[in-house]
Amino acid sequence: MAKKLMVASMALAVALTASACGNSNNGGDEASTNGNTSSNTTNNAASTDNTTANNTAATNESAPKDKVTFSLFNGVANAPDGNTNETTIGKALEDQTGVNFKIEHLVGDLKTKIGTMIASNKYPDVIDPDAGIDQLLDAGAFIDLTPYIDKYPNIKKVYGPYLSRMKAADGKIYYLPFSTQVGAYTADPNINQGAFWVQRRVLKEAGYPKIKTMDEYFKLIEDYVNKHKDENLIGYASLTNDWRFFATSNQPMHLAGYPNDGNVEIDMNTHEAKTYYTNDDTKRWLQALNTLNSKGLFDKASFVDNYDQYIAKLSSKKVVGFFDYGWQIANANNVLKDAAKKDPAQDDFVYQPMPITFDGQPDQLLDPPGFVNNRGIGITVSAKDPERIMQYWDTLLSEDNQILRSWGIKGETYEVDDKGRFYRTAEEIAKIDEPFNLKFGFKYYAWDWPQYGTNSTLSDGNALAPGLQPEVFQLSLTDKDKEILGKYGVQTYAAQFATPQDRPWYPAWGIPKEQGSPQQIWETQKDEVTKKYYPKLVLAKPADFDKVWQEYLGAFGKLDTAGYEKWYTEQIKTILDQVSK
Amino acid sequence: MEKSFFKKLIQQRMLVLMSVPFVIWLFIFKYLPLWGWTIAFQKYKPALSFSQQKWVGFEHFKFLFTDERFLRVLRNTLAMSGINLVLGFVTAITLALLLNEIRLVAFKRLVQTVSYLPHFISWVVAAGIIQTTLANDGIINEILVATGIIHKGQEILFLGIPHYFWSIFGASSVWKEVGWNTIVYLAAMTAIDPSQYEAADMDGAGRFRKMWNVTLPGIKPVIVVLLIMNIGNLMESGFEPQYLLGNGMNVDFSENIDIFVLKYGIEQSNYSLSIAAGMFKTVVSLILLTAANTIAKKTGEARLY
Amino acid sequence: MKHASFGDKVFEVCNYTFLALLMVVTLYPFLNTLAYSLNAGLDSLKGGIHLWPREFSIQNYKFVFREATILHATMISVFRTVIGTAVTVFCSAMVAYTISRQEYVLRKFITIAFILTMYFYGGLIPVFLLMRDLHLVGSFWVYIFPGVIGVFNLIVIRSFIEGLPESIMESGRIDGAGDFRTFWNIVLPLCLPVLATVALFTAVYQWNSWFDVFLYNSSDINLSTLQYELMKILQNSNASSATMESGFSNSGAAASMVTPLSIRATMTIVASVPMIIVYPFLQKYFVKGMTVGGVKG
Repeated sequence: MAKKLMVASMALAVALTASACGNSNNGGDEASTNGNTSSNTTNNAASTDNTTANNTAATNESAPKDKVTFSLFNGVANAPDGNTNETTIGKALEDQTGVNFKIEHLVGDLKTKIGTMIASNKYPDVIDPDAGIDQLLDAGAFIDLTPYIDKYPNIKKVYGPYLSRMKAADGKIYYLPFSTQVGAYTADPNINQGAFWVQRRVLKEAGYPKIKTMDEYFKLIEDYVNKHKDENLIGYASLTNDWRFFATSNQPMHLAGYPNDGNVEIDMNTHEAKTYYTNDDTKRWLQALNTLNSKGLFDKASFVDNYDQYIAKLSSKKVVGFFDYGWQIANANNVLKDAAKKDPAQDDFVYQPMPITFDGQPDQLLDPPGFVNNRGIGITVSAKDPERIMQYWDTLLSEDNQILRSWGIKGETYEVDDKGRFYRTAEEIAKIDEPFNLKFGFKYYAWDWPQYGTNSTLSDGNALAPGLQPEVFQLSLTDKDKEILGKYGVQTYAAQFATPQDRPWYPAWGIPKEQGSPQQIWETQKDEVTKKYYPKLVLAKPADFDKVWQEYLGAFGKLDTAGYEKWYTEQIKTILDQVSK
Repeated sequence: MEKSFFKKLIQQRMLVLMSVPFVIWLFIFKYLPLWGWTIAFQKYKPALSFSQQKWVGFEHFKFLFTDERFLRVLRNTLAMSGINLVLGFVTAITLALLLNEIRLVAFKRLVQTVSYLPHFISWVVAAGIIQTTLANDGIINEILVATGIIHKGQEILFLGIPHYFWSIFGASSVWKEVGWNTIVYLAAMTAIDPSQYEAADMDGAGRFRKMWNVTLPGIKPVIVVLLIMNIGNLMESGFEPQYLLGNGMNVDFSENIDIFVLKYGIEQSNYSLSIAAGMFKTVVSLILLTAANTIAKKTGEARLY
Repeated sequence: MKHASFGDKVFEVCNYTFLALLMVVTLYPFLNTLAYSLNAGLDSLKGGIHLWPREFSIQNYKFVFREATILHATMISVFRTVIGTAVTVFCSAMVAYTISRQEYVLRKFITIAFILTMYFYGGLIPVFLLMRDLHLVGSFWVYIFPGVIGVFNLIVIRSFIEGLPESIMESGRIDGAGDFRTFWNIVLPLCLPVLATVALFTAVYQWNSWFDVFLYNSSDINLSTLQYELMKILQNSNASSATMESGFSNSGAAASMVTPLSIRATMTIVASVPMIIVYPFLQKYFVKGMTVGGVKG
């Protein structure tokens, strides 16, 4: 579960970085923010300042604070180690605040690393511990941020609506999460979350049918494979490798019309949390796969292939359909899209996401606005000067700086049209490659900092994340993309899917669980049982399915599922209480 | 007795000087951290000092031994390391003997260097290669189809058949490590007195007799000592290959103690459980070690201590 | 061979054939890895690469070497390998010599004390705290001190010494040489084959180590090693391949992306080539023709 989360957060980060871009009027930002950062002791700024000379004049005028460097440990390795002030964004922020961060990223096992920090009671000044957060909280490694938050208007503004939810059991706030929604919710036009995918040639040949149900979807695949027997196609493949197993076990939840809340479906009326691993939905889903398998349409190797093999299969153009989350198959999709860009005939093999449910009920595959509450960044007890860190964060949370970290600099990494809409030219898009992302700092500031959540909207109506800006999205589409979207009467991929309902608890998997708690143990055991029995159920002779299902129920029955559901129901209730306050 | 001991000690002061500093080193670096075993009896939290820890007695051991999966993972651990031990020894010694028979020194060196290469390929990469080779469209299935042993469409899902797992694991380990493991035997062979071969030649001994009567006895002390050490290591069957090649279908044969501890100890930040499992392994290892050494001693072979 | 019988000839043919086959099987993974490292990252995802790259590219190597830190890290790796190996080989051999002396009163005690440590481990955190208290955290010497003696090496050397003809030892004794001089002048030179073996084991271990860097020195870039930097690069390639999934995946940037698969292959090559180059130099000590091998009295 923790990994699921990590990956999901990386996916989000990706959405940002990918779209990574910048803003230009930072001269103005600096002037405004420099005001509140005066004071302090010996002024060695003069000597250090002139190193990166490409900065605006503002720094020299208003007496800058003495420079200070804090150490920051990041539990996700998403960029090379380095100093923030070596990036364009980080330099601008240093000019405004005098603060630099020396970032160390995790290499190796997170829990071990954090364990040694705790044991020696020596921490970096700031930690973004990712999945190690419960360990640090348990050890009392973070300071209480409550007394600081009130002092900083930008922090207060961004986190204000969430403060009650950010409180730990003792009523204190130890870290700032990353997914706070600011402004209206901007939906992702792409499908980075779950969908049933199918090759475009299948839709083309069938005349672009508007399929909605699971049976229609499998029928579509079956017809196509049967018509093209000589091509040796794989009807349907599924990802099961290691922690990615949820790409196979989550479907019953989605088919029943629920979003990805992890292991539970939460009733919209009673708000009761129920697991779905032994219910009729899961049985129906596995039986459908079993039938598929008996017809020779299911790829048996799904249960032994590793992730690389799976991606290779998808890229091989042999797989007709599959379910997965967009962020997991991005690489395969890119291979296929790249090919289609060079040769439009290859567009046949690009995968189109479809919203499928059991009986055509509204899907909930798109993410509702969510608040991931078990990840965040905190200041440790080892930090000498928490005020300076908070100041930095407050500065970073100004809208101008959020534009800087997301869109970049006007005229360099984005443009503004006469209606005030942000966009990027083709040259800018081409320019912003991986090395540029690193040098400019988009990569460092895409995630892991106190920030506007990815789906936020700026006060002038522009999307915070360039990748979510409709103008930018439209520019990325090929003619064939537009054609198929046109057949379905939509502008974006997301528009095919139902609008997400409001679920304040979403994502339920983001509700913090204590380490070694019964909930965590239950999840480990659940993984064990499902990983062992799902292959048996899918690959069994159809006549034996019910027998194996009974065996599976027996094995699953040993788990304390009722306790797990009870715990979740209580958590949901708590959140709803907090929200209604 | 006492007197003579000290007298001897003084007499052997040079030997003492050459070894005792390292015994002190050993004590500091290896024995001192053993206080950590107390963690197995605590609900250990790294942030707390020793006196603040909560003591739980044998709770973690109970968790281990009463879990219904424990016997299975113990069986898998012993089976896989047993296979590894036997296969590893037999193949490495055989290869060393075969190499020793090659008189073209260049070829000998070439074989040696090439067979040593897979050792430098991490298990992650190696497992990827193994999985590709064993896949439905992998080379093994292609050969089986081409030779008519199986029909197209009936490809064997090697990693999906539980009782194949130990063989796949054993073969993979040999493939990866055989060249590396040979080195120590080749080194031992250099110490064999050439006059022994000459004497055997005089007796008219053929190639195999010389192998059997000269080469093997020449390296036997090394073989026996390594064997005893490795028998003591039977609780360590490795972790990466099982983790990487394991899946839901073969879990009953692939999951070993280390993976179990990873899931319920390390991933849950339960240090205590990991330490408890480690202690259990130590106890078993020491029993095996003593037994192996005693047998070696009784049969008059070289021994470890 | 004076009289090669028919059976001998059959054996020869079989032996050469078998060893040639073995070479094919063991060379394949390396060539396969090399091919992946020289193939465009995105294209590698499609799989199906065997001995030759399909879409030749050196972008993976460029990605690995883009950080200037890697040179310094390589230097540290060389230092720790050279110093660590020298120290371990010398110290292990010296102790091995003492416990090979049957008359040494502490022989059994020392032997058992060392052997036991192969089978227990106090746990990561106690060891970490010990290193901290010894002020080895944040120091180069944390790579050297904990490995001063390898027990496996110790036992292998001891067995080798015990296999040496007793007469040679005796000759030193009669010369009236002290134990250290016997060790230094007589035993060490005779032990070259086993010392070369142990040196190889230790060097490979030192060269490949990254876990101690991770535990003790991860925040000090000046003490980072090649393997550790490669691990970092691998993790970055994970992240950077993930960034492809935006609305910009079809921009020019995407095509030059590296993938974890190809970076893993590249780092395997980068890290193992030095060890492969070193090998023949050590190899000459333990691969000898059987007639020229052995101890020359």
